[in-house]
Amino acid sequence: MIACVAVVGHQNNPLYLQSFTGADDALKLHHIVHCSLDVIDERVNNPKRSVITLNESYLGLLYPTESYKVYGYLSNTKVKFLVVTTDLDVKDTDIRSFFRRFHAAYVDAVSNPFHVPGKKIISRIFAARVSGIVKAFAPGTYG
Amino acid sequence: MVSAYGRRFYATKPELAAHRIEAIGYQVGHQLIERYTMERPRFNDHLEVIKFICKDFWQELFKKQIDNLKTNHKGTFVLQDNNFRWLTRISIDPSSDNNDGSQGSSSEATNLLLYFPCGIIRGALSNLGIPCAVSADSSNLPFCSFMVRIKA
Repeated sequence: MIACVAVVGHQNNPLYLQSFTGADDALKLHHIVHCSLDVIDERVNNPKRSVITLNESYLGLLYPTESYKVYGYLSNTKVKFLVVTTDLDVKDTDIRSFFRRFHAAYVDAVSNPFHVPGKKIISRIFAARVSGIVKAFAPGTYG
Repeated sequence: MVSAYGRRFYATKPELAAHRIEAIGYQVGHQLIERYTMERPRFNDHLEVIKFICKDFWQELFKKQIDNLKTNHKGTFVLQDNNFRWLTRISIDPSSDNNDGSQGSSSEATNLLLYFPCGIIRGALSNLGIPCAVSADSSNLPFCSFMVRIKA
């Protein structure tokens, strides 16, 4: 079950945060996403030579807490995509394909000439596409 | 688009038109680079980024690669295109051949046109984390060169 997805710009400014739990815990999710940003910076600046190659966009599992897991993905333009999920076992390939679709939706949203780079993404079509991707993701983990 | 900005909107102030055209190019480059770097692994250093611009980015935009790349290894790059696609059909005014410092109207139009690709390059590089200044030189149409100066 995906709890929330977030897009953070290259100056760590939030561009998009959407929670799918139904409960009113946006602040807690904000905190979790913020802590994960530190983990991303750590991974990028001190690469562990044995585990991560320098060129990978997909950063993998960042931050397992007691009930959540956070996955990260870094684009070439230093835009970070984060997914907070409550699932216990999630296949790597599923998350990778999720990020690919998420990145494609983000690129389409940013190509909007009325979108100001650096400001939050307010496109409703982007929100609808992201909800669609999240809904398509959940049943796939049991398949 | 360029002629609209050059002649109608800022007819008396070509510097303002140039600035606006460059800003439009900046936003376009910014958004395009997001799309074209989607599938690629991350870049390691500035030279790889410039090589990407010369090869893949230019290929997507103009269906050819940059013909010549020079660098002084201190943050300045010169990208030379022997047959810049957007300038191939510009007519060269023969009377401007004997100008020495005075701008013929054709070279003014060319300069305004060139601000747009300068903006595209600047937007692309700054979205990849490299602040820079880009200038273009087209003394010999359709041969065109862009000089990229990386800041700090």
